[in-house]
Amino acid sequence: MHLAYADFPFLSTLLFCCVAGLLIILFMPPERTREIKWVSAFFSGVTMLVSIYLFVAYDKELGGLQFVESYEWIPSLGITYLHGADGFSIPMLLLTGVVFFTGVLTMWEMEYRVKEFFALIFLLVAGVFGMFITLDLFFIFVWYDVSLFPMYLLIAIWGSTRKEYGAMKLTLYLLAGSALILPGIVYLVVQSGMGTFNILELMEPGTFTPYEQRLAFFLFYIGFGILAGVWPFHTWSPVGHVAAPTAVSMIHAGVLMKIGAFGVLRVGMFLCPEGWQYWAHLMAVLATIGIVYGAFAGLRQTDLKYVIGYSSVSHMGIVGLGLATMTVDGLNGAVFQMFAHGVMTALFFSSVGYIYDKTHTKAIPELGGLARTMPVATSYFIIAALAGIGVPCLASFWAELMVFISSFEVYPLYGTIAIGGLAVSALFMLRVVQRACYGPPNERFAHLPDVSLGLGIPRMILVSVIVLFGLFPSLMFDMIRTATIPFLNRLP
Amino acid sequence: MPPIQESSVFAAWAAGLLPFISFGLIIIFLRNPGRERLASLVSIGAIAGSFLCALFLLTRHWGIETPLQATVSWAVSGKIVIPIGVLLDPLSLLMLTIVTTVSLLVQIYSIGYMAGDPGFSRYYAFMSLFAWAMISLTLAPTLLQLYVFWELVGLASYLLIGFWFDKFSASEAGKKAFVMTRTGDVAFFLGLILVLLNLGNLNILDVNSLSATTHMSPFLITLSGLLIFGGVIGKSAQFPLMTWLPDAMEGPTPVSALLHSATMVAAGVFLFARIFPFFSHSAVVMTFCLAIGTLSMILASTMALVSRDIKQVWAYSTISQLGFMIMGLAAGSYFAGVFHLTTHAGFKALLFLCAGVFIHTYDTNDMFEIGRNGGRNLKIPMLTMIIGAAALAGLPPFSGFFSKEAIMGGLASLENPFWLAAGLLGAFLTAYYTFRLIFIILFPRDRAAASHGEEHGHEDHHGGYREMAVPLIILATVTVLLGFAQGALDHFLTEFTAMAPAHHDGGHHAWLPFVAIGLAVAGVALAWFEFGRKGASQVGFADRVFLFRTLFGERWFMDHFYRWFLDTVIYRGISRLCDENDRKVIDGSLDGLAHGTVESGRGLSILHLGMIQYRLMVLFVVMILLAIYFFF
Repeated sequence: MHLAYADFPFLSTLLFCCVAGLLIILFMPPERTREIKWVSAFFSGVTMLVSIYLFVAYDKELGGLQFVESYEWIPSLGITYLHGADGFSIPMLLLTGVVFFTGVLTMWEMEYRVKEFFALIFLLVAGVFGMFITLDLFFIFVWYDVSLFPMYLLIAIWGSTRKEYGAMKLTLYLLAGSALILPGIVYLVVQSGMGTFNILELMEPGTFTPYEQRLAFFLFYIGFGILAGVWPFHTWSPVGHVAAPTAVSMIHAGVLMKIGAFGVLRVGMFLCPEGWQYWAHLMAVLATIGIVYGAFAGLRQTDLKYVIGYSSVSHMGIVGLGLATMTVDGLNGAVFQMFAHGVMTALFFSSVGYIYDKTHTKAIPELGGLARTMPVATSYFIIAALAGIGVPCLASFWAELMVFISSFEVYPLYGTIAIGGLAVSALFMLRVVQRACYGPPNERFAHLPDVSLGLGIPRMILVSVIVLFGLFPSLMFDMIRTATIPFLNRLP
Repeated sequence: MPPIQESSVFAAWAAGLLPFISFGLIIIFLRNPGRERLASLVSIGAIAGSFLCALFLLTRHWGIETPLQATVSWAVSGKIVIPIGVLLDPLSLLMLTIVTTVSLLVQIYSIGYMAGDPGFSRYYAFMSLFAWAMISLTLAPTLLQLYVFWELVGLASYLLIGFWFDKFSASEAGKKAFVMTRTGDVAFFLGLILVLLNLGNLNILDVNSLSATTHMSPFLITLSGLLIFGGVIGKSAQFPLMTWLPDAMEGPTPVSALLHSATMVAAGVFLFARIFPFFSHSAVVMTFCLAIGTLSMILASTMALVSRDIKQVWAYSTISQLGFMIMGLAAGSYFAGVFHLTTHAGFKALLFLCAGVFIHTYDTNDMFEIGRNGGRNLKIPMLTMIIGAAALAGLPPFSGFFSKEAIMGGLASLENPFWLAAGLLGAFLTAYYTFRLIFIILFPRDRAAASHGEEHGHEDHHGGYREMAVPLIILATVTVLLGFAQGALDHFLTEFTAMAPAHHDGGHHAWLPFVAIGLAVAGVALAWFEFGRKGASQVGFADRVFLFRTLFGERWFMDHFYRWFLDTVIYRGISRLCDENDRKVIDGSLDGLAHGTVESGRGLSILHLGMIQYRLMVLFVVMILLAIYFFF
């Protein structure tokens, strides 16, 4: 694979910003909440700008890994500080930057334990960025756990609805996942006999026998898949989404679930392509069940956040289905869907967060008539719902289109079922929109303020991203294609 | 590319993009109260621009021989390439003209109708969105682009039906429309993928060419044709996905006029016409379409017999006329279907806009009420509505007569006489229910109240009626004149295209027009006898029979079925199963596992009480066991 070394360590800058933000906030007095928020906004803003720069500056003609940084870390164990970005990870970095910045802005009005909250958010995002940029198995495991650990505190302290239960459930689930990943990593490193954790070296064809690949891929698929909400390991996700505070839900559903899918891709599929081919059928089955099941289960929910949680299960199923197709279009669609779902669900949670902040309820039967009292807030919600349905000119449409076409080509039966899920998901989203937003104006909420301009900024950013990539999907496809085509060409 | 084509392509692009720009401008800058006037001007200006482009294109390419196509690559994924562009051929040029004309007139009409509505700007934004989607759908050179804008048209329709979202019934209707059409779209999408995977691309000219038959087996063509027709069923509200359209009347009346009669629902028929050669490769598909069209036509006509709601009647008649168009196309008569689509767009928009004036003036949808309140005193709407009704009923010399005639000609050329009989029955029912409505308004039973309404009925109610009158007059003129353009249109549509493998003009059935006219007149006469003449009971024959009244009034219980299906099968069935599985099986077993872990830990912890006598006892027992093991 082609490596282009960086003139300036942009990828490390992302990590640096998170660590710097974390440290500065730690040394600030807790009562200076305003300053803490500004510091958070500044550093998260920088990461967003850097991620945008990376997206623009990535040379699509050249392809391969760019912005590479490589330093020895623990040579005796073969651990290197190796960073690089390719067409798979650049969209994820952009997603993380955008969701991080907008998530911080969304929490502008919070008052409870501000310092600890933002410090933990920075730690969480550091793990996420690390996971996306590193090319070393050791670091992948480290960053994966770094991003999990703050979740427990963030949910258990700042959460709502059954927060202790949700936090504990989530943590146990994800730790169970990492308990599968670690043996997988150790197994591969030992079996290779190369004494290195470097993915680029391990991914040479012929390093692992087909049997080893099958075993390891299965571990990675289930381990990372738990985080990606693969059915039937998805139940932590709605519960966790519901319990988490707004920004955490945004980062969680928007970015963290992508780590799971990205892990399957970067570790599982890169190192064990034959294992991937062996298990692809299983992946397709589980993903298809997830798509339909999530939509049906979502139909019955009465809590706004539960609804979105189940929509995530359904949408992440689309990612899984795309990965299972083993075609260029399917992979393009899957990665695009990871991005599109991240932005969409962040918008979802940020608008639900606003509604919950003002009305103090997430119960759909109690809401209703919001479109009159807060038209702007509800229009963000409706746009997110429409993106969830897969309306054209919003980003997820193109992603779903690619996944559905190629899944139909490879697995006609599952493709058909998944496409049938489109009608269910329309029913399920529009039902929520109708119950929560439409209807006669609700006296109880008549006095509530609409989204102010300041609080509107994060939502506007998210909407613009959705529309931008919805109108110009080639921006994303041209990027992802630089990674998918060489990757699939390498396959035996 | 020669310059003449370049400017045509430019005009076609402009026709689509102008409303899009207007949509963006309104949604971003002109949303706030106080800018309503400007919003409506922007939107009307944009659609007027599109209209001029359409006229320019139509006149320049009148008699176009080879389709003009211009595409650019929009996105490349891997194998899948997504081009967007324009395709100019007789069908798209004609449809473009229809869409922009009706849109323009409806938007002008809406200034008066929507005046003072708090969502005035939003209304025009959605109207522009719709215009953009519909125009781009019309000009689509590939089925994929058609599908994209097809979905956007559905979105615009959802937003406009549920425009008055305070009303529960309106939001419910919007949701129903979207979900039902989406259900059809799922089939459409599957068919699309089948074609894409087998043919390699979705270019409409390729799909229509003979290469489709070489790349695809007859079975595949039939299968994908049936699937694609699923989209037509959803969009054009055919059986069994027809019940959303009457409900869609919850939207503002101009919306009903534009979307749910003249353009959006016609998109389904347009799709059929667009890939007519592809459909006609398979006799199975054509027969299936014919059956669906006929069934929808008859069912919807019967529903219209008993409705008291003026908009509902027009809605049912829309379904039934769409059924007619599909019958015409499926009978192999390409021109008849498209021609009826054209005339129908004119007179149905007219009928709805007239209904809008009545509703706006009297604040009621009930035709008896409108009659009692003196509906006939609104001279222009009444007169133009009668013209529209005559066209709908198929009376000469109005446009509907000619197009329906063409369809009957197509049906007559089929071997099986059943289809023609069904068509003629439909024509009779149409004439009957149309004039039932007219006579109810024109000759209210309670004449005293009517003259009472005459005194102060409409004077104080409405102000914007003058603005609304202009589109009515224009559309009425079109309705009167369009029928005479049959020959020219026929020439334009079918002469230079290979569109008509089985083109029939119906001329050899000289008796047919007389039968059709006779039946239409009989329908009107029956309506006169029951509703018009002095001392008429104003109770229709269908109202007298309990079975008919119930069956027609309840829409053949289709909605009951859907409600049952949704509530029982989906919500309380599958959906509940998934939900409970999550809560009880998956979570239950995990919680059980967690609980079990804690409990077993607690159980084992007895071993660690740290009491010396237990340890000694255990030690003693183990020693004995070891001794037994070693010595025996």
